[in-house]
Order: sequence, then C-alpha cells, then structure tokens
Amino acid sequence: MSDAGTAMDDAEGGGAHDNELMLDPKVQESIGRSLKAHYDDIVNSPVPDKFLVLLAQLEATEHRAVGASSDERN
Amino acid sequence: MSATEFKDGLIKEIPNLRAFAASLSGSMQLADDLVQDTLLKAWGNSEKFEPGTSLRAWLFTILRNTYYSLYRKRGREVQDSEGTYAERMATHGNQESHLDLADFRKALAKLPEEQREVLIMVGATGLSYEETAEICGVAIGTIKSRVNRARTKLAELLSIGSLDDLGPDRKSAAAMQRVGSEIVGL
Repeated sequence: MSDAGTAMDDAEGGGAHDNELMLDPKVQESIGRSLKAHYDDIVNSPVPDKFLVLLAQLEATEHRAVGASSDERN
Repeated sequence: MSATEFKDGLIKEIPNLRAFAASLSGSMQLADDLVQDTLLKAWGNSEKFEPGTSLRAWLFTILRNTYYSLYRKRGREVQDSEGTYAERMATHGNQESHLDLADFRKALAKLPEEQREVLIMVGATGLSYEETAEICGVAIGTIKSRVNRARTKLAELLSIGSLDDLGPDRKSAAAMQRVGSEIVGL
C-alpha cells in the first residue's frame, strides 16, 4: 500500500465513538510533554542564515523602491 | 507598520514557522523551502496583515495554504525515498523524563495530516483553539474532536497506557491510576 495517509484518513471516519474516550490524564500529560519537546527542539535549533539574508534583501529592495519613487516626485 | 518592523516580526516567527513546517511536511529540507515561500508571500502581502492581530496565526495560515497547494505531494515523495526527518534528525537535550523523541516523531508522522496539524497548533505553538479553527477554516468543535482523536491515536501508536512505557518513576502512579479505574469499574 503506497498511500498510507489516505488509508488512515478513511480509517479515521469509523470508530468515532472509541475516539471520544478520554485518555488517562497521565498519558495526555506525557503526550503533551513530548509534543512540546518535539516542537521546541526545532524552535531552539539555529535558524539558517539564508532567511535573514532573504529578508534583508527584500527590505533593501523596498527601500530602494521607496527612494526611487520619491526621486521621481522631486 | 514600517518595513523594518514587519521584517523584525517575521524574523521572530521563523523558528516557529520551521517547527510547524517540519511537523506538517515531515522533512526539515521541505520545511525550510516552505518557510522561504511563506516569507516571500508574507512580504508581498504585508499590506493585508492587520497590525494588532496575531502575526503567527497569519503566517501559519499562509504556510499551511502553501503546504496543501504545493508541498503535500512532494512531502510524501521525500518521505518515501528518504524516510521522515524523525528517522534522521539528530536530537539534543535531555529526553530522560519523557518518551523518546525519535519514537514520538515517527508516531506523529503517522497521524493523518488534519489531526497532526491541529495537535501541533494547539499543543505546542501557543495558538488558541479559536485561532487554530480560523487557520484551518473549521469550527472549534471540529478542532477539539481532531485533537482528541490525535491524542488517542498517538497513545495507540506509542502503546502508552501499558505500565512499562511511562518509565520506572511513573510506574507506581500509573498503577495507582489503573487500580483506581478498576475499582470504579466494579
């Protein structure tokens, strides 16, 4: 089976009743902590320079455009 | 809002955008492409951002739409050929007290997208249920039910609920809980 995602989407439609069972609070808490650990691990990893370079370029282009249009007015 | 203020706002959100994009696409490389596209679109549409509203929610909406329109298929291809980032990414930090991060990521990647995205948004990003509902374009009740299903599915995938999986220091607490619920069951 190549498309597991679709299969799961389908499976999800059934068993709605089971899914509404409340999880043990300990289990919920454990999942919550793992979720944060996963997310924060990426949040805290270094941001590639290319993003800062890109934004600096965009800003510089905008400044030039603003400068050019005020030149035109003068 | 000046261009510089807007730029500074974007810079602050980059780490969150990367974490959300990686959670959606299952690949750090795709995540960074997705973040780059998101930043370009945000910059080009900056006049549509209403100052005073959540920049994070606005950016997540752009990122999510970009993912579903352009990246979803690529994500699956990358995962098929290289495995998910969960299997490759080095992790750091002390994981002693919770589930192994790599195992958790593998399980997270197996969730249906619509469950995974809401679980991340509600459980890790600091977005509210209301904001999450708005980003996904569905009712709050739908978000709550997806979060519940996602948690249940994760617990199932990780086989937690069995005493050994919560670690030795938590066994007794879990056992108490179990005994407690058996008593209630009687």
